[in-house]
Amino acid sequence: MGTLDYLLNGFLVAFQWHNILFALLGVVIGTAVGVLPGIGPMSGVALLIPITATLTSGLPVEMAATSSIILLAGVYYGAMYGGSTTSILLNTPGESSSVVTTLDGYQMARQGRAGAALAIAAIGSFVAGIVSLIGLVLLAQPLSKIAIDFGPADYFSLMLLGLAAVSGLAGKSVTKALIMTVVGLMLGTIGIDAVSGIARFTYDSPILFSGIEFLTIAVGLFALGEVFKTIFEKETHDEPVAKITRILPTKSDLKQSAGPIGRSSILGFFLGVLPGAGATLASFFSYISEKKLSKNPDSFGKGNIAGVAGPESANNAASGGAMIPLLTLGIPGSGTTAILMGAFIMYNIQPGPLLFEEHPQVAWGLIASMFLGNLMLLILNMPMVRIFAKIIETPKKYLLPLIIAISVFGVYAVQYTTFDLLLLIGCGVFGYLLAKHDYPLAPLVLALVLGPMIENNMRRALTISNGDFSIFITNPLSLTFLVITLLWLVIPLILRMRGKNVIISEEA
Amino acid sequence: MNTIEQNAQNEKNGEYVPNIFNFLKIIYSYLKQMKALYKKGEMKMKLAKKLATLAASAALLVSLAACSNGENAASGKEPSDYPKNNLTIVAPSGAGGGWDLTARAISKVMNETKLIDKAITVENQPGGGGAVFMATYATKEAENDHMLMVKSPPILINNLKAEGNSPYGYKDTTPLAQLTKDFGAIVVKEDSPYKTLTDLLDAIKEDPSSITLAGGSAPGSMDHLLTILPAYEYGIDPKSAKYVSYDGGGEAMAALLGSNADAIGTDVSTVTSYVKSGDVRVLAVTSPEKLELEGLEDVPTLYDLGIDAEFTIWRGLFGPKNMSDTAKAYWEEKLDEMVKSEEWKAELERNGWADEYRAGEDFTAFLEEQEQVITEILTALDMQK
Repeated sequence: MGTLDYLLNGFLVAFQWHNILFALLGVVIGTAVGVLPGIGPMSGVALLIPITATLTSGLPVEMAATSSIILLAGVYYGAMYGGSTTSILLNTPGESSSVVTTLDGYQMARQGRAGAALAIAAIGSFVAGIVSLIGLVLLAQPLSKIAIDFGPADYFSLMLLGLAAVSGLAGKSVTKALIMTVVGLMLGTIGIDAVSGIARFTYDSPILFSGIEFLTIAVGLFALGEVFKTIFEKETHDEPVAKITRILPTKSDLKQSAGPIGRSSILGFFLGVLPGAGATLASFFSYISEKKLSKNPDSFGKGNIAGVAGPESANNAASGGAMIPLLTLGIPGSGTTAILMGAFIMYNIQPGPLLFEEHPQVAWGLIASMFLGNLMLLILNMPMVRIFAKIIETPKKYLLPLIIAISVFGVYAVQYTTFDLLLLIGCGVFGYLLAKHDYPLAPLVLALVLGPMIENNMRRALTISNGDFSIFITNPLSLTFLVITLLWLVIPLILRMRGKNVIISEEA
Repeated sequence: MNTIEQNAQNEKNGEYVPNIFNFLKIIYSYLKQMKALYKKGEMKMKLAKKLATLAASAALLVSLAACSNGENAASGKEPSDYPKNNLTIVAPSGAGGGWDLTARAISKVMNETKLIDKAITVENQPGGGGAVFMATYATKEAENDHMLMVKSPPILINNLKAEGNSPYGYKDTTPLAQLTKDFGAIVVKEDSPYKTLTDLLDAIKEDPSSITLAGGSAPGSMDHLLTILPAYEYGIDPKSAKYVSYDGGGEAMAALLGSNADAIGTDVSTVTSYVKSGDVRVLAVTSPEKLELEGLEDVPTLYDLGIDAEFTIWRGLFGPKNMSDTAKAYWEEKLDEMVKSEEWKAELERNGWADEYRAGEDFTAFLEEQEQVITEILTALDMQK
């Protein structure tokens, strides 16, 4: 049997009425999980495992497994759809992978284009979902081989490229962007060092052992920062955020988004395949490269629709890509896929090299159901845009308490500690002060994500090579990334020296 | 002040009245008294004084309620008295990990089989690899008989290692029972030149920099210890061995399969499918006897190879430090019944856990023994507290 036959069989499984129902239930819960901050896809999936086990208890093992996994996977990619909603409307990222969506999404909402932003996020997610599924069907085996060959040295160089790209997130001043990057890198060193096991900057406080939670910082800086800004600066005239003119994106919106969606779907898919890289990085990379490619990069951060379409497609594609190492190697690439893997094991099905041979029904049924689920999500989400977009018309005096409540609830539900709540408020004030003085927030957040990865992979690579730095250049993949990084940094400088006007250093 | 006494009496009798109601009741009765006094014209206190008295009485009440609560929990002498409230099992990690699954399995089986009627909720308290909740548990909740905790070897390791130390260990809890077990495995890729563990260890002995070992957690934590243990017992300076840590066993496995590591140490339950598919070979397991798992029957234990060491990855249930005898006896009895039930066996099988039950004293003795093994290897690594 060829791949296509397997896929057709998969569709037969997915189209059984109870599996359609499970997929629908999964994506509905997933959307809710994505919209509600705090219940991220990870805890959402974990909490549903026992419930699905009960729901499917009457079925034979193999069928029960298929149905539950269909539901749980639905929650996973459904959450990726829903994650953008609060980012766009309230500047409050619900998941780490939708942090970067706040940059342009919220600006669009303030200009009365919330509907277009939400709709394009849904459309982009749909396209990305389908692209990554096609990739999953066709490229699963060869890509899984590449994914495991990706060693610490390659990761290091890739992440370095990401960090170099920080210039793309700089606002008016590159110096300020660099300061924020360094702050982010420093915050990233807090906690028990994964390479040596030494506790750094923890002051013997167990609460800091596992480092500072990324989401707390992001929600504090972005959402609460905005709240404090509104409070302190007393926008008394309460400019009632531009009236929503239309719900659906215009033709030119769609035209502008087509490129970003296509590119980011592919980019996100490949990044998702790499274990450990994941959806957050994919969304950042997509944003940065879209800005670089854009004809008017200045409009990014001011409500450019490509800044929503790109990252939202990328994070969805990444969640599809992350299924590859999970299904073919049994290696979970992210926290959520690790929990999905737990669900497989619960039914005595071990994801990994033997999954497609031993349990074709489960594997292909799941893949087919994801096609179906993505379609359901698009149909479900488009009408919801209309309802959600209304939120933005709520007067500030009601909206601000709502944002605060959502932020506090969201952070607490992830971390369960009051320490994080204090940190959240602290970051809010900090975020306000930074934004007031034109320090861009995104580089800090990106550096916080990348810092530990760069550091750990560099040290892993050096341990392997016994301290020999040549490991980074002798490795072809790593060398390629390093060369691109170098070009990325040097070319704008050369152009500038030749007197051309380039965005990189418009020192204010 | 009659009401207060009555309330205290109620508390002692075990009739649980939520504090807030007591509080309101007292305030109400106090106001009534005030009103009566006022009517009689005996009310000469100034308003401030009135309020002060009110506040004082409220404070007294709250502290009294708190005291009687604590007293209550500790002095539940009647066997029928416990559990009075709903029970909580804490998994000191996020949802979905091993601790969390174990906690949920216990709560599910206990409630489903009606062994325990009171609802058992599972609470996630992540932070510091369990160290954050451990601090709360050993101090604030030390008297709370209704709060249990699931833990595994990190309860020992975190307490014994110098970096990222948790000042509280298993001695600050009441160990109730070990429920599951797993073992460590030293694994190489299928095409690795090392056919036996002795080959591998000899190679490390000859040139430690030539072999990259890897595991899924930071140095000084579980994967590192079980990776290094055989080498240490074989007479290799564990500090010289090259160990690379990854984020979790999955990434370590990816490193092995992608030839970025020569050998990894991980737990047996995660390697079985890779053994079946023929991608990896297990050189040794850290169990006391050969395992009866498909594909692993012939894998030698460390003892078989003349290395005097074993390492068990256990999971167990703990009570608070000052757990009352009643509560302790209650749980030991219930756990004893639970592990015999079909439902528990089904749960073990579903999760792929191996059954191992050690109750009370046995469990404590086992922990003491494991503590020594861990101290020894941490000392050799110069990572002990």
